[in-house]
Amino acid sequence: MATTLTPTQRYAAGALLALALRQAQIHQSVPLGGGSADDEERASSASGGSSASTATSSASGSDAVADADLWTHDSRGLLRPVFRFLEIEPQAWAGLEETAASPEAKHHIGAFLRIIFEEHGASSSDRLEQEHALAKAVDVMAMSLGSGIVPDEKIKEEGKDSTTSSSGTAESPEAGSPENLLGIDKLTLDDVPAKHHRKMALLYALLSACVADKPVSQEEEERKSSHFRKGYDARHRVALRLIATWLDIKWIKMEAIEVMVACSAMAAAKEQEQERETASPKSKWEKWKRGGIIGAAALTGGALLAITGGLAAPAIAAGFGALAPTLGTLVPFIGASGFAAMAAAAGSVAGSVAVAASFGAAGAGLTGSKMARRIGKVKEFEFKPIGDNHNQGRLAVGILVSGFAFDEDDFCKPWEGWKDNLEKYILQWESKHIIAVSTAIQDWLTSRLAMELMKQGAMRTVLSGLLAAFAWPATLLAATDFIDSKWSVAIDRSDKAGKMLAEVLLKGLQGNRPVSLIGFSLGARVIFKCLQELALSSDNEGLVERVVLLGAPVSVKGEQWEPARKMVSGRFVNVYSRDDWILGVTFRASLLTQGLAGIQAIDVPGVENVDVTELVDGHSSYLSAAQQILEHLELNTYYPVFAPLPVVSK
Amino acid sequence: MDSSSSSSSSLSQQPDFDYLFKLLLIGDSGVGKSSLLLRFTADSFEDLSPTIGVDFKVKMVNIGGKKLKLAIWDTAGQERFRTLTSSYYRGAQGIIMVYDVTRRETFTNLSDIWAKEIDLYSTNQDCIKMLVGNKVDKESERAVTKKEGIEFAREYGCLFLECSAKTKVNVEQCFEELVLKILDTPSLLADASSGAKKNIFKQKPPEADAAASSCC
Repeated sequence: MATTLTPTQRYAAGALLALALRQAQIHQSVPLGGGSADDEERASSASGGSSASTATSSASGSDAVADADLWTHDSRGLLRPVFRFLEIEPQAWAGLEETAASPEAKHHIGAFLRIIFEEHGASSSDRLEQEHALAKAVDVMAMSLGSGIVPDEKIKEEGKDSTTSSSGTAESPEAGSPENLLGIDKLTLDDVPAKHHRKMALLYALLSACVADKPVSQEEEERKSSHFRKGYDARHRVALRLIATWLDIKWIKMEAIEVMVACSAMAAAKEQEQERETASPKSKWEKWKRGGIIGAAALTGGALLAITGGLAAPAIAAGFGALAPTLGTLVPFIGASGFAAMAAAAGSVAGSVAVAASFGAAGAGLTGSKMARRIGKVKEFEFKPIGDNHNQGRLAVGILVSGFAFDEDDFCKPWEGWKDNLEKYILQWESKHIIAVSTAIQDWLTSRLAMELMKQGAMRTVLSGLLAAFAWPATLLAATDFIDSKWSVAIDRSDKAGKMLAEVLLKGLQGNRPVSLIGFSLGARVIFKCLQELALSSDNEGLVERVVLLGAPVSVKGEQWEPARKMVSGRFVNVYSRDDWILGVTFRASLLTQGLAGIQAIDVPGVENVDVTELVDGHSSYLSAAQQILEHLELNTYYPVFAPLPVVSK
Repeated sequence: MDSSSSSSSSLSQQPDFDYLFKLLLIGDSGVGKSSLLLRFTADSFEDLSPTIGVDFKVKMVNIGGKKLKLAIWDTAGQERFRTLTSSYYRGAQGIIMVYDVTRRETFTNLSDIWAKEIDLYSTNQDCIKMLVGNKVDKESERAVTKKEGIEFAREYGCLFLECSAKTKVNVEQCFEELVLKILDTPSLLADASSGAKKNIFKQKPPEADAAASSCC
């Protein structure tokens, strides 16, 4: 493998990933800036202790490196394959793992960054040129990605000033000012001669390493510790996001790099395929060494079917064909010969069949395949692509789940406006029941309740004001029997749909790419139940990257929030509205005794609570407000953000 | 000194030691830091390639009637990793400066470079420093006298020993003396007891509050 980084830089790159992984795991329970500095220290100092017991601050003195719960631990298979890909000498691995796991890990970040940026002696002009070319290519790619999301960018720009001044609406415990958010010695970073092109080279190399097939050494194979999932692990993506934050790189650039790596991986996979036809079979290990990247398992027929089968190569090729002339003028030596040349310029062709398979697998997997096994009585459970990011080599998937709808359109409408570079799918499930329960609620509102309220005065005021206080007149409650029966069926189905969603993810139908799950109302419950299901079996942490629950009908007590939290590598946001009294009424039994996530903040370490009372004055408001809320959450930011709401618009 | 088996992956759930000490090996490239560590932890000697970045070994020992867990960080002496070592001084209770008695420059570099690094980066005011001259088995090629070593040690207020990782001479004594001295220093023990492990963090410098992060 050729990369533009020197061996020392690759060593440091590996170290950074290790550090980022560990830090990201700490941030799972203690989000950056979420708590006071003390909290953060407590978490990181308890790092030696089991991260599994986030709540119990166990003063365990167990050896940090021996703790198999750490993402950096060998058994997780997150680090060593990357080290191997980066060609870091195996003798250095233990030191890196221990460094990342040590309580003072944060303080090493600056030093490793320094190595990456300061080493120049060995970097030939050739390398430099390649790095610059790569940086340019990334810029161009980012531009092409960005054109689609101008509105989003705009909002970010606008929101930027106010964001930095911290928001009052964000109810996340002491929304810390972002100043010390990074929690690393800022000073050591500031005087590092950070070179943009070097940053790109670093991120590109790391991402390639993360998505490359995980070659398993024979020794590891014997130990049977090789239950590694192929593809792009959500934890890697979170770690990369953190590194990008350290480097002060806009996420859009990272997304651009993702697309580039995906495409170069595809190119390499094809090449490999052709090569394979001529090459004589060798031992697995040798093959890996020769190919450098491509794991033996990936060479089997099944995976290749995925590449050649469902693959949307033309779409990608077209995308790059359009780009090539631009690139040609920008970077002369790349020429206009398409992506393969650019990948070569980038220095490392990440020939990962797993990634390449992503497109095919996801296309066929999520949308095409019917669930083989139905759980319970769930009759409808279907993924539908929305947005225009499909077959574009996106390395991240978004699954959006509605749970309150008046007709089928309401399954996609809330999400349509949301611009993001995820490959988005909506999950349409049990629409009949959802529509039934939603309509029942609506009917109830417009009939008796409405009458009563009309008499008392303005409907609006009453809805958002009076009832929010949880002081429901008994007459209102009496009318809810009708809803209750429908509601309980819907709840039951959502629990089952959650299990099915978990099954889909476990099967890797999303193309082994990190998934962001976003859902509202019963859809949020589907997601929550899915996480709980994932938590039941071990080693499923690498599937889900982010979760946003909007108005979730999930009780606070009596549900396994913490295990569910652990299934999410990155941010976990609970969006609630204190005025969501529909949710309160329909779910009142639970609300009174156990609390309800959709109405109040939940006190689970690592869960961001966002109060959107000002935007959402009733449960159905999520239908229209979802987009706005998502935009304000700035999900692409590593740390908790909720841009302050504009002066109440509605 | 009797030592229990050394392993870098003890699966101890309950702290089975009284104190955890963080020790650091520094010095020029090729002076034998890794060999010293290998001799101490695995009682073997072999040709080693230059350390990349940092290496890490754990050894459980019984010294002074205490069960101790030694976490020993072995740093690369090579110039290109110099920036890296700086962050490893943090929280170390003991620092071992190693030089090669047959290469004079490795000795002079101690005062020119390494001692300054300690002053700059060490966070434990009282941390115990130790000077170790390695490779005394090559007596005929000796370029630094024992007297010079003793004088350096006196000047910088550190312990001193000459040893040989190859012939095993004085290797265990190095670590034992260092550890005994740490055990004699109450301020170091406070941080190192297995329960109070997290106190290391209290020495964290105040947050650089002026630095604003801009990530969007």
